[in-house]
Formats: sequence, structure tokens, C-alpha cells
Amino acid sequence: MSEVSVSPLPDPAHDSSNESSHGDGAFAAGGGGTGVGGSGGTGVGVGPGLAAELARIVGPAHVLTRASALLVYESDALPGNQRTPGLAVFPGTRDELIAVVRCLAAAGTPFVARGAGTGLSGGALADGAVLLGVHRLKRIIAIDAEARTAIVEPGVVNATLTRAVTSLGLHYAPDPSSQTACTLGGNLAENAGGPHCLKYGVTLNHVVHATVVLPSGEVVGLDRGDAGGYDLLGAFVGSEGCFGIAVDMTVRLTPDPQEVITLLADFSSIRAAADATSAIIAAGILPAALELMDQATIIAVEDSIYAAGYPRDAAAVLLIELDGATAGLRDDADAVSRLCHGSGARGVLRATDAAARSKLWQGRKKAFGAMGRVASHLVVQDAVVPRTMLAELLTEIAAIGERHGVQVCNVFHAGDGNLHPNIPYDATNAEQSARVHAAMQEIMARCIAAGGTITGEHGVGLDKLPYMDALFTPETLDAMCTLRDVFDPERRANPGKVVPVRACKEWHGVTGTRAATNR
Amino acid sequence: MNATSIARPTLTPRDAAELSAIVRESTAGLRIRGGGTWLDAGHPVRASHELRLDGFAGIRAYVPADLTISVGAATTLAELDRVTAAHGQWCPLFSWGDDRASIGAVIATASAGPAAPMLGRPRDLVIGLECVDGLGRVVRAGGRVVKNVAGFDLTRLMTGAWGTLGVITEVHLRLRSRPSVDETWVVTPTPSGGAEFAAFLRGPYAPLAAHPINAHEAPTPWLVRLGGNAAFVAAAREALRALGECALETHSAWERVRAHGAPAELASRWQWNALSRRVRERFDPRNQLNPGLLGEPV
Repeated sequence: MSEVSVSPLPDPAHDSSNESSHGDGAFAAGGGGTGVGGSGGTGVGVGPGLAAELARIVGPAHVLTRASALLVYESDALPGNQRTPGLAVFPGTRDELIAVVRCLAAAGTPFVARGAGTGLSGGALADGAVLLGVHRLKRIIAIDAEARTAIVEPGVVNATLTRAVTSLGLHYAPDPSSQTACTLGGNLAENAGGPHCLKYGVTLNHVVHATVVLPSGEVVGLDRGDAGGYDLLGAFVGSEGCFGIAVDMTVRLTPDPQEVITLLADFSSIRAAADATSAIIAAGILPAALELMDQATIIAVEDSIYAAGYPRDAAAVLLIELDGATAGLRDDADAVSRLCHGSGARGVLRATDAAARSKLWQGRKKAFGAMGRVASHLVVQDAVVPRTMLAELLTEIAAIGERHGVQVCNVFHAGDGNLHPNIPYDATNAEQSARVHAAMQEIMARCIAAGGTITGEHGVGLDKLPYMDALFTPETLDAMCTLRDVFDPERRANPGKVVPVRACKEWHGVTGTRAATNR
Repeated sequence: MNATSIARPTLTPRDAAELSAIVRESTAGLRIRGGGTWLDAGHPVRASHELRLDGFAGIRAYVPADLTISVGAATTLAELDRVTAAHGQWCPLFSWGDDRASIGAVIATASAGPAAPMLGRPRDLVIGLECVDGLGRVVRAGGRVVKNVAGFDLTRLMTGAWGTLGVITEVHLRLRSRPSVDETWVVTPTPSGGAEFAAFLRGPYAPLAAHPINAHEAPTPWLVRLGGNAAFVAAAREALRALGECALETHSAWERVRAHGAPAELASRWQWNALSRRVRERFDPRNQLNPGLLGEPV
């Protein structure tokens, strides 16, 4: 295990050219202003002077300014929304990252941090602002098997960390479906979840420290507060790039369970599957994961290369994973099996070997990809309701889909009440897009009315902004703005996201439909 | 024991709106008092008035099958335990101190406890809260569902802030089912078995909680709580017995452990930095909420 020394400032020897160019400030006016830009597609403060300055920090190969090159970065995994960044910059080291943020601070330029661009809420869209990608910062700095922690840079891919510690009998527990692509920095910014968060908790519960560069360029260490201090790490996790960028983060590693049992329960109604979910939770069994897939999802998966052997005629299946010590695990699996049968399951399949389990999981984890067979675009929605409301909500969601003539595919974390009603559609078809948007609005309203929330793990980003007023009181939203102002008083980091700020004019809002924007 | 026996005029709002009015309409420093169990923690509070939260007691919402509960901040841990136990559940905080403490204070002090490594800290178990901040805003942070990333996380901000950013009036908590078998043991690991005992605490049969009873004694006896289904606990018990002399204890032994640990010291050695000062200035610009408690300069 190697030790890390965390220097609060960029190494001057390493960084002297930047420091001197900081000093003359010649670039600062390059873009023509100090604006909180991004209102018109070409961001205020983003111009050739700034690009040259950034190129001096990261090297010209890592600054993109041409429209054709920026095309790649005009969207994340939220379909039907494109925003063109003013430029894109990709620092390769910690010092470069800090220098880039300081450069942008000096220029007063807004910026949007981006990991792998797998976010589903439009959080990494940069409308004229500087897009700051952290994917080159992919060093695993230290692994401490004894303390069960790892220190990583923000661009490390989620699954890469688990692979790096597999030989130690450890893994990184939060496992979003995009884990083979998404970065830990992005996970931190979004407070990402995943199927196994039912038992193990979300990103928040697995990060113990982060070194962060604030939008001002200050570098601060954030902790959970258990040594005597505010829980500023807790405040930072899930701040969606609005509070700064993690330079490094210390995460907990979880010991691999002694044994894992995966069950696939097959139901002839989605309501029965929801009832079984409630019965399992109420019985006091805490599965590692408890996932529900409906028939539309099952068929999309079974038609694809990710076919997992799910029963095509099932109205819904539950994928239930139990893990832990060998003693007692089979008793829990037997109990789960009985509860599923008691709720009307037609059959319960049990996979105990790794190959059979990974096949069952492949269908679940690649379900979103499989839906690519159904239509060209897919809205992957995210909402949470109290667990006892699941059956009722699923019935209502089906009715809403029918009313708007859209197909809803449900594949979600049933154990947490975390719904993912997904709608495959064609974003180039304006009429269809409008119907999808209307259906989603109704689904969200219904989840809020049921005492739930508008996002359990994907973030608000741009997509959920219109629902924030329905979920939070004006005073609460105001307090959120106060918190943002602590970290970023100039509101240059990911402007216009998460909290609707009417007083701030830096963002022109969402388009109002899910149609692809044509410019 | 009670360091703050200084008589202060008392304010007793009945709801968040009244509390908001108190904060908005006066510049008086407020000494926040829930169960009154942590009043000797931290630095002396320079407040002219005592704010009593007695009006915020009681269960507000509880659907056992959701495994969540909403309670007024002045609800005691004893009451929370009584209500959830009736449904085979608990909020497994086992915080430092005792069960007379209010849940609001447990969240405000982020008082963890011997079970925190396994069952979660206050920050892991609180899913939302209502508070009145130093601007008098009634803030409803988070929600009542177990997964929620909507908006900036004011819940985590208020948790462990010792009331200096907002007065917590209601909390929403995640609950767990009580294990079907739950046993407390005293184990004295054999002098040569320290490594094995450490491995046990981190292994597949890890206990819900483990705490040394008397660190000055050698070998040190440990209090260990085993929980799970019958087969799990049977295996864990066997593993424990292999490590040293074991004796079954009552769960009340944990009360003595909890009484000796405390978050009080955290308030005394609070670490201020530029960012935390900024938080304090913005959420309580008039320095009204527990002023001085964390030793910050006026």
C-alpha cells in the first residue's frame, strides 16, 4: 500500500508556465467579458484567448474548440437534448485540473464538469460554457486493504476500481448499470446508486473524504464531520457539479460476501411482483438487490444479445440477490422463495454458481441497451415512492402510458421503491416526443403526490428542473441556493442546473418537450 | 453536571411557523434545548434565551411496511424504540448517551455509537428533516423515501451541525427490521488471540456492535452483539466461542457503554476553516443559533 501526500496547491515546479501566465492575466479578457454566460450558445468568456491559455496548461491536443470536435460533447445520456459547449478541456493531472479551474475563475467563465457522459438527467450539458472533462484523471492513487479504502482520481471508471481490488477479496459496492463506463467522479457528483444499494447504500455512504477544487480555485479537503466539523462532504456528494470538482476521493471498499444466491421469480401480474417485494421487505429480509422487470423489458432483453433466459410470457420477474455469510443465507433464500410463491409466483429459479448468476444479471444491467432495439431513443426515468405504494403506482403508470399512446418499460430497484419507467421513442418525431413528455410529467406528478421524489439516483440536472417547485417549498429551494453560494457564490459551476434560480438569468431553461433540438 | 443552569427566559414554540417567527422577529441568541442531555457539551453558549423544543414531540407518520418513520425532533429515543419495536423494527442508532435523548439532538450532534460501523451513523439513517434556519426559513430537506437525490443535500448539512445552522424540528428516518435472533455476549479473547478476534470483527460473522468494556484490563473483555437469523447467529456464536471465554449478557450492558462514549468532545474541538465559516455566516448570519457552542469567533 502506498502513501499519498496531498499538496494543497499545484506543484510550482510542475506548473511554472501556468503560474506565470496567470500572473499577466492577458487571457482574461479573451472571450470578451466576465459573464455568467451560456445564454446564447456561444458562452460569454469563451474565446480564442481562453482556449490558448487552457492549451498552455493541458497541451493543445486536449482543448477542443472546433464545432465538429465539440459535437461529441453536446449531449450526455439524456436523449433529445443537445447543447454545444463553448470549448472542451481535458486536464490530465491533478495540477492541470486545478490550474484549469483557476484559469476559468480568473476569466469568470462558467464551466460544466463531465465524467464519462453517462448521466441521465442532462447534468453534463454545457450550453456555451466550458466543458471540463475529468476522464483523463484515472489513477488509482492508493489502495489500503487493511483499512478497506482506496484513494482515486475522479476519472477512474467504477468497474475498474472493483477489478483492481478483486484479488484482495474486496469490491466497490455502488454499482450503477453504467458501471463499466461511468466514472467515480461522476458517481460522486450524482450520488449514484445501483441495484446493490438496497443493502449496501449509495455513493454517499461509501465516500469518506474528498479533495475538491472549488469554482474559485481554492482546494479544500471535505470530510464527513465525524472528527468535529460540518458534514461538508455530505453536502458535496450529489451536488451535480455545482459545488466544484473532486480532485481525488477516498472511498470505502466492501469485503466480498462469503456466498451469493440469486433468485429469479416469475409472475403473471406486475402487481403480484410488487406485492412480493413488499412481503420480502416486511419479513425483515434485506436482500443485496431486489429488482423488478416487466414484460416489455423482458422481451426487449430476450430479443437482444443480452438474452438472460427470462420467461418471455411472464408479466414481470423479480431478480433477487441474497449475499453474506454462508450460514443462514439458504434459510433467507428459502423464505424469499416462499414469500414469492405466496404472492403468486409461477416459479422461482435459483442460481448459485457465478456463471448462472452473471447471466441473470447481464439481462438486468444491459436492459437499457437492449431497449435500443425498440426505438432510437430512450428516456430512462427515475423516481422513488414509498415501497407500499409500488403496486398502485405501477398500475397508474401503465394507465398513463396507455392514455398517451406510449410504451412504458419498467426495470427498477423495487426493494428501494426506486422506479425507472422508461419510454422508448423517436426523438426526431416532435409529436411523439410531446406525448412522451406529457406522460413523464404525469408520472412525476403522481410520484410526488404519493409522497415520493423525482429522482433516486440520476440527479435533477436539466431534465428534472421543472419538477423542483412541486417537490420543495420556495424556502427550501432558497436554502439550497444558499448552500450553493457557500461553494460557488458566482454560480459558475454547472450554471442553471438542479435548482431553478429565477433571479439568475444564466440559463434559458429547458425546451419544454423531449424533441431533439435542431439548430 | 448541568453546566448551563444559568436561568434564561424560555421560549416554547408549538410548531415550525412559531419557531420561524421567533428567529425572524428577534436578534436574541437562542440556546436550543431538546431532551437536555447534551447541554454541557462544547463551549459555553452565549445566548439570552433558551429555546425549548418540547412542543415538537411525537410520531408524525409511520407506515411500518415502508420501513420509514417521521417523528418530531423532541421525541425521545426511548419512545422511538417503543413504537418501532411493536412492529419488529428499530432505528439502530444506539447513540452515545442514553435513550432520554431526543432524536433531534442525536441528529444535530451526529451522535453515532457502538453499532455505527455496522448499522449506520445518523447521516446514513436520516433521509430527510425539517428545520428552521438562522434566517427563519422553514426548510424541508430530503424526503420520506429511502433513496433521494433531488436538490442539494441540506439533510447532511444539518446533521451534526449542533443546531448552529438550523433548529431541527422533525426528522424522517430509515428503519430496519430487528434481527430474529439478537444476543449480547461478553468475550475475553485469549491473550494470543488478538489477531483472530480482529479478523472476526471484520469477517462474515461480524457482530452488529463490538466495544471494549475496560481497555485498562488485560486481556480486555469486549461486549459483542450478534444479530441475524437463527442459523447465522448459531454460526457466529460458535466462531465467537473459539476466540475466548464467553458469557451471555443482557442488552442493558450496552447502556453503560453508551453512557461513556460521547460526541461532546467533538463540539469542543470543532475544526473551523474558511468553508465552514462561510456556511455558518450564510445560514445563521446573525449568530443566533447556539452561539459560541462550537467555539467560533463572533
